[in-house]
Amino acid sequence: MSTYILGVESTAHTFSVSVVSSDGRILSNEKSIYKPAAGRGIHPFEASQHHLALAGTVLERAIRESGVGEEDLSAVAYAMGPGLGPCLRVGAVVARTLASSLAVPLVPVNHAVGHIELGCLLTGARDPVVLLVSGGHTMVIAYSGGRWRILGEGLDLTLGQLLDQFGRHAGLASPCGAAVEAAASKSSSYHRLPYSVKGNDVSFSGLLTAAKEKLDAGVSFESVSFSIQETAFAMVTEVTERALAFTGKSELMVVGGVAANARLAGMMTTMAARHSARANLAPVSYSGDCGAQIAWTGSLAFASGVQVPVSDADVRQSWRLDTVDIPWRN
Amino acid sequence: MTQSTYPGGTEKPPGSLIYRGAEADILQGTWVGRPAIFKVRKPLPYRLPELDSGIRRQRTAHEATIMHSARKAGVQVPWLYRVDMPGTTLVMEHVYGERLKERVGDSAESSRLFRALGQDVARLHAAGITHGDITTANVIVRRKELVLIDFGLASRSSRLEDRAVDLRLIKETLVGAHARVATRAFEALLEGYSVEAGGREAEAAVTQLRSIERRGRYARVT
Repeated sequence: MSTYILGVESTAHTFSVSVVSSDGRILSNEKSIYKPAAGRGIHPFEASQHHLALAGTVLERAIRESGVGEEDLSAVAYAMGPGLGPCLRVGAVVARTLASSLAVPLVPVNHAVGHIELGCLLTGARDPVVLLVSGGHTMVIAYSGGRWRILGEGLDLTLGQLLDQFGRHAGLASPCGAAVEAAASKSSSYHRLPYSVKGNDVSFSGLLTAAKEKLDAGVSFESVSFSIQETAFAMVTEVTERALAFTGKSELMVVGGVAANARLAGMMTTMAARHSARANLAPVSYSGDCGAQIAWTGSLAFASGVQVPVSDADVRQSWRLDTVDIPWRN
Repeated sequence: MTQSTYPGGTEKPPGSLIYRGAEADILQGTWVGRPAIFKVRKPLPYRLPELDSGIRRQRTAHEATIMHSARKAGVQVPWLYRVDMPGTTLVMEHVYGERLKERVGDSAESSRLFRALGQDVARLHAAGITHGDITTANVIVRRKELVLIDFGLASRSSRLEDRAVDLRLIKETLVGAHARVATRAFEALLEGYSVEAGGREAEAAVTQLRSIERRGRYARVT
């Protein structure tokens, strides 16, 4: 018999609630996304106010949509971190409240693990080399010895931040990934930008500065978008390829908000083929932050006995992926 | 764009493919009658040609000169037989042995190898070279000695930051691929590094390494 788990996501701009069943069906996945003004980034306090204002509505819709009664929920999972403090606290408050009033266990979930496990559920990947690319992460990851290990990562900006800050410089509203992608597809004129791979790590800060300078010098937004995508995506594809070659794994998976980018997906697919590896791309509708990643990972964790007393259910802004034990993969 | 041909200008591969890395194909064949390794940087199909050919040529030339300097610094590297620029190919000695990744373990022998690796890394650093990709796959154990391969991401730098990045990469590889023995292996490596470079240099590099780790996302450095 399957059990039902509710998950709450609120690490950054997205407040989302989802109900999943322990056999891997996503019964609802409601969300509301805070949008900062054009040219500006996420203001953590404003984002948390947005979450607070909409928490009740989103929660109610997620439960109603799922067709599962509150009394049939076995546990409540929430994103304990990493993320923006004020935003995380809203999710934690909602989860603590719900778990105490229903008298069910509370399950802490690491947001990055959530991206990975939901990706595995949706694509059928079993033991992939993972590229997690979003506003909060740029990491190449593989499972080994009880944890998801980081084989390479961004040394400064994340890939999502690179695209966002570039887009904002051009006057767009965050998140800018889709707009940059659309502009890039209208150009094929490459302007040389710094390509910075250091071993398994990548660095984007020089690339961002150079791209902004190209814009300021009058190069079209389309051409610079094309150039920034070609350069940055080739960099992350190269380090992912290194990890694939090094680990000898036969599956690749791309998750996180930037996984929605078709050009990145194309590069990863081409690269995987060189190694006869299967490329698993998270469906675009689930690539961004959502409650389902928390609910599903919460379901796996709950089945392995992971839970936290309400009194200890705090938030961890800096909760690094490779410190989280993953008992369900042993 | 440069047409990718193999040395001698043929389209026929000079040997059989033994490893397909991210950067290059490694082929095993013969060169002037002796066993040789061909490191061929073929165009990466996902990378824009304008971007790709520059990166391949630059890395090929660079790798050749750095291998030469590494040898002068007293580190064992494969002998370089030929540099073929149009084909972005290096032809070098075939080093027979096991990769260090096969020898990583709890044993005293494993610790000895990591100490020796630490000494080699310190020698490179003293000569102003950072390897840029010291993984346990890029070290070959030949009889009892280490031979460092793949200088494709090496650079010339005496900056403390770059030396620390080099060490951080080793640590990352160990934790990522050999989690159980990572701490012990890395300690042995630092021991060797310290013997060769001197305690003060080693300490400075480790301090910088910590500072880099703190810059990482969501990092908690202990």
